[in-house]
Amino acid sequence: MSRFTSLSLPRSALTISLLFVTLILYALVSSELRMGTFAITMMTGILRAMLLFLVAAGLSLIFGLMDILNFAQGGYFMLGAYLTYDFVHPAMGIFRFTGAIEVNLRFALGLVVATLVGAVLGYILERGLLRPLYKRALFQLVLTFGISIVLLEVIRSTWGPAAYGWVERLYLQDQSFTLFDQEFSAYRPFVIVVGALLMVAVIALLRFSRLGIVIRAGVQDPEMVSALGINVRAVFTTVFSLGCALAAFGGGIAVPYAGASNSIGSTYFLAAIAVIVLGGLGSFEGTAIGSFVVGIFWAATEQLSVRPEVGTVWASLAPMLLLIIVLLLLPKGLFGEDR
Amino acid sequence: MLPYRRALLWLRSEGIFALATLALVLFPHIVGWVTGSSPFGVQRGQRFIMSGESVYWMSILIDIFALSVLVMSYNLMFGFTGVISFGHAMFFGLGGYLVGIVAQKSGLPPDLAFFVGIAAVLVVSAVLGLIIGLLTLRLRGVYFAIFTLAVAEMVWIFFSRWQFTGGEDGFAYSAIPVWIDAAQSRLNLYYLALALFLGTFIFIRRLVGSPAGAVMKAIRENEMRAQAIGFDTLRFKLLSITAAGILAGLAGIIHALLAKKVGPEVLAVSHTVDALLMTIIGGVGTFTGPILGASGLTLADVLLRDASFTIGSTVIDVGESWLMISGIIFVVVVLVFPFGVVGTWTRIRLRLTAGRQPVSGPSAH
Repeated sequence: MSRFTSLSLPRSALTISLLFVTLILYALVSSELRMGTFAITMMTGILRAMLLFLVAAGLSLIFGLMDILNFAQGGYFMLGAYLTYDFVHPAMGIFRFTGAIEVNLRFALGLVVATLVGAVLGYILERGLLRPLYKRALFQLVLTFGISIVLLEVIRSTWGPAAYGWVERLYLQDQSFTLFDQEFSAYRPFVIVVGALLMVAVIALLRFSRLGIVIRAGVQDPEMVSALGINVRAVFTTVFSLGCALAAFGGGIAVPYAGASNSIGSTYFLAAIAVIVLGGLGSFEGTAIGSFVVGIFWAATEQLSVRPEVGTVWASLAPMLLLIIVLLLLPKGLFGEDR
Repeated sequence: MLPYRRALLWLRSEGIFALATLALVLFPHIVGWVTGSSPFGVQRGQRFIMSGESVYWMSILIDIFALSVLVMSYNLMFGFTGVISFGHAMFFGLGGYLVGIVAQKSGLPPDLAFFVGIAAVLVVSAVLGLIIGLLTLRLRGVYFAIFTLAVAEMVWIFFSRWQFTGGEDGFAYSAIPVWIDAAQSRLNLYYLALALFLGTFIFIRRLVGSPAGAVMKAIRENEMRAQAIGFDTLRFKLLSITAAGILAGLAGIIHALLAKKVGPEVLAVSHTVDALLMTIIGGVGTFTGPILGASGLTLADVLLRDASFTIGSTVIDVGESWLMISGIIFVVVVLVFPFGVVGTWTRIRLRLTAGRQPVSGPSAH
């Protein structure tokens, strides 16, 4: 494996800023140096980064702590999206009583419902299904994969295979501002701000709270933590549930912008995997940086694929392609942190 | 050892397989005899029309043979080497696509195109298996799973968009040599599928029983230790996934010959999941388990496709929610039935015989 190590970068302010300069240049080229298009691309990229972070944070925490790659994480994201969509649009699906509530409040409540459902389902998955399998790692992987299929099929049979575009207008979607002669709905900066707040909150939780200390210690050595008299299993369950709740919230906040479809789960899941591999499996700050890299790369490639000689296939291939490149060239992550 | 004693010993260990082979060889004729239909179909002038019970059951068995080969090859990786792939159906689908493309688009005469197609499948599966293996097998196990998932997902998107192969609808594979055409001489196709099925079964048994197979099992149990003993584990893992890829590609050819159509659904990730499910239900790391899993689930699908049942007030249509049902079976089996049918049976038998065996020798008293 040593031949890969040479490719990893030293983790310093300089390399990180160089990386981002490259990405921004790529975004500039893909938008043909037009500032308006460039602003859209960057805005989309950062928004994607926030959504990816919400999926990848749980993946990374769960992987670091329990050594499980939760293949169902994309399913939670998708479930959150559908639940929120359903809650806001009373004409369809399971929540038919919500019509009386004001739209913006409905959206907020839908987000709460999605997050709670994500947390509860995450709790059930860890407690009821994964716990008996801690001795058999291969089967855990297989099981989370099976859960992702069940989630997808439950969604498909409840809401059907068609993709839904957002119909109801939220207050923030009607507000707009102008940047480089280009109109933007206020919803995008809103998602970015919420994502950034959550990012800071999760990092603060890990850095400063007692639970965070236990989690970080657990990433290092779970057996030692449990020897110190801390109930590691309970921490596992909490973290798993938290990770799934974050993913479901991410789906909920993404849906007014991206719509709900059967494929967003696997797309965001694969892109989130690229994020955590880039950031180094189990490293949390790496996940934050990685989500910006993947988000901006994805948006820029999407912009590039609009041109006829490139073809729109590349937009949907971008996350997979990036994941494959990252796995091949930088399997230990950008900063070569080996675990 | 006396020759007849050797024959007796062979019969004792392999007799059941020989009997099963004989039954499968005779199966179309037996069904034809029982139901009064001909395994050759009904003759209309120069052509044979494929109708009747015997011909119908043959198509189900051909499907089972193709799937069994796919599942057995998956089991070679997952069950015997401990390598988990989420993209194995990609080989199966590429097998069908390659044979179909060569036959439909190259302009060669059907007979030649068929053999060129098979050669192409062999080469492409082997090379693809080697490349994927070389690129990722030296990484941690979970990376291999992710990598195969990403590649399979990409190949699926590619083929569902590629207009050359009909995009999401796929294309009809009709330029098939007459002697193997499922619509004219299905019995020949049946024997071809049976030959591939038996060949795969024997090949995997011999491979796993060989010294190389012993190393594969050692890798499954503990790769670090196998390395420490001095084995170049990468080579054996490569052997395993390349062999599995070739077998899956060949199975894909049989599937395409029977369906006479190639579409992106055969290389979707959900098809790999079916193979994984069949492996686990039958018994991971057993020889007959994958066959039982594949035939059991295929038969269940055939028999229950049009059935529906009611829970409370909701009617569940089995055919429509087959994926969900199989997903739930999947989770339940992994949790409560991890050794599968054959694995559990072996365990029970071992426990029974261990209890029954008379303890000999003076120390017993």
